[in-house]
Amino acid sequence: MKQAVILLMLIFSTGCSSWKPWVKPYERGNLADPVMAFDRDPVSTKYLHHVYDAREAARGADGSAGGGCGCG
Amino acid sequence: MKYLLFCLTGLLMSLSLHAKELSGPAPDFTLTDLEGKKVRLADLKGQVVMINFWASWCGPCRQEMPLLNDIYANYKKAGFVLLGVNVDESVADAKGFLAKTPVNFPVLHDGNGKVADLYKNQAMPSSFFVDRKGNLAYLHQGYRPGEENEYKKVIKKLLAQ
Repeated sequence: MKQAVILLMLIFSTGCSSWKPWVKPYERGNLADPVMAFDRDPVSTKYLHHVYDAREAARGADGSAGGGCGCG
Repeated sequence: MKYLLFCLTGLLMSLSLHAKELSGPAPDFTLTDLEGKKVRLADLKGQVVMINFWASWCGPCRQEMPLLNDIYANYKKAGFVLLGVNVDESVADAKGFLAKTPVNFPVLHDGNGKVADLYKNQAMPSSFFVDRKGNLAYLHQGYRPGEENEYKKVIKKLLAQ
């Protein structure tokens, strides 16, 4: 148990200082690729989402900022 | 509690700051530009140098490119050099963008991010300003419309030194 704690502490103390899979701001080329976007056309998605909100009376209930109160 | 609040406010303030004053010698580097010519920072001593890290996938960088070109044209004669350090993994991306938005300042390719790493680049775009003595003077992170005026202010100040 004690050894495990020491091992964990060692990992915590050394691991974070050189955390390797950290994407730096200048390495985000692949993340910024259009392929990585949730939708192809954000404007059209926004419109369709508005239609959905209005038709289903679901405004704010599906993950928009502000929770389900409909005031976000 | 008060101390904690103070610290938090300080932290938030430092995060919202987009321009920082720097000091100490600018780390030297040699990169090849898109035409294959080698450019070394140390060779530009005596001139005010703006090192702008950009990439073709970075929206604000694309936005400021034509403005940077204007700034370069305006201050070139006064002893100002602008180095655009492109961090695109493939040069073709940079060339494709520059074909549509041509610029006159030297664009250097830093495909593996070595120089960006050397400068501990924290944001895209980032602009480092180097004074005539080869020391770092300012760092500007990010770009929002209108911030080119801050660039001009800094460049004028450094040129007057």
